[in-house]
Amino acid sequence: MKCTRCKIPAVVALPSHHAAFCRDCFLLFARRLVERAIEEHQMFTAEDRILVAISGGKDSLALSWQLKELGYNIAGLHIDLGIPESSPIARQYSERFCATRGIPLHVLDMAAEGLAMCEVKRRARRPICSVCGQTKRYFFNKFAMENGFTVLATGHNLDDETSRLLANIMRWDVEFLSDQGPVMPAQNGFAKKVKPLFRMSEFETANLCFLAGIDYGYAPCPYSSKASFPVYKNLLAELEDRQPGRKIHFYDGFLKRGQGGFTAQGEKDALVQPCQRCGYPTSAGECGVCRLKDLMGVTP
Amino acid sequence: MITVRLEPENRELTFERVRTVMQLLHKVERKPGRALVIREGQLLTPDLNLRDNDIVVVRDVGSRG
Repeated sequence: MKCTRCKIPAVVALPSHHAAFCRDCFLLFARRLVERAIEEHQMFTAEDRILVAISGGKDSLALSWQLKELGYNIAGLHIDLGIPESSPIARQYSERFCATRGIPLHVLDMAAEGLAMCEVKRRARRPICSVCGQTKRYFFNKFAMENGFTVLATGHNLDDETSRLLANIMRWDVEFLSDQGPVMPAQNGFAKKVKPLFRMSEFETANLCFLAGIDYGYAPCPYSSKASFPVYKNLLAELEDRQPGRKIHFYDGFLKRGQGGFTAQGEKDALVQPCQRCGYPTSAGECGVCRLKDLMGVTP
Repeated sequence: MITVRLEPENRELTFERVRTVMQLLHKVERKPGRALVIREGQLLTPDLNLRDNDIVVVRDVGSRG
């Protein structure tokens, strides 16, 4: 198989793009996918201070590497979730990557906040993935807002976005469908959130890491086996195997032709106000993290 | 004989009469767009031939939380 651009032997085959690439041409292809996402959706400019949510996995490290390569002003934030089986490994990969690539890294330790997820799991009455996700969103947003970052960037890829979209459609969740997309504007106490990897599949970010020499963590969360998104992800992967390119057409089509139909209804449903205790935006009187702190006996 | 290390589970398998990367992926029940195939530090595309005594890594790309 030859590289589509330069005709030397290829190292990556991408049926969804009817292409194959050598190392250098793949890195150029990946760079252009990210640049296109940033420009098309006006995610940020060279003047922005960008906080990247860094988990230590391939997507967040690929994103950090690519934004640094493109010359953006980035810093990382890693949240140590306090899960003995996976958190020390994830933290180690994050710290090592940022140290070697010259990216400033901040670390928030959930155990120090009284919210180690291994303890939360024992007491919470909701699914742990839901509580953990809410807690991470809270602290990423809080850190960005309190430290002068104008944009919060996450490593969500095409597989993440399409599986979430399919899950939302299967529930006809109008509120979530109305605000799903690669950009969430800054509003109501939320920092602007962007997903510059939304055009790249997991396969492409894994290839990017390999070819850019990025060493990423494999340790899966021990609690994630009951999460529902992998079911949708696998369904879409089966479809992509049979019809290459289906995922990006599904997501692009939603952004261009589908999402507008949900927006008006979603706006009616979403009533966001500051939390009565911490000021974080919430649709309840007290935000989920303040209620979680109560449950865990954390004193303000 | 081809030796395969599956990642991230770090399981090792051996196969006889596997001629191409595509055949190997089929043997280990992986699809081309869901795993990296690595030999001697280089990525392999599905059409490439394997050689006897090759040692190959098949690395799943799906994140698991």
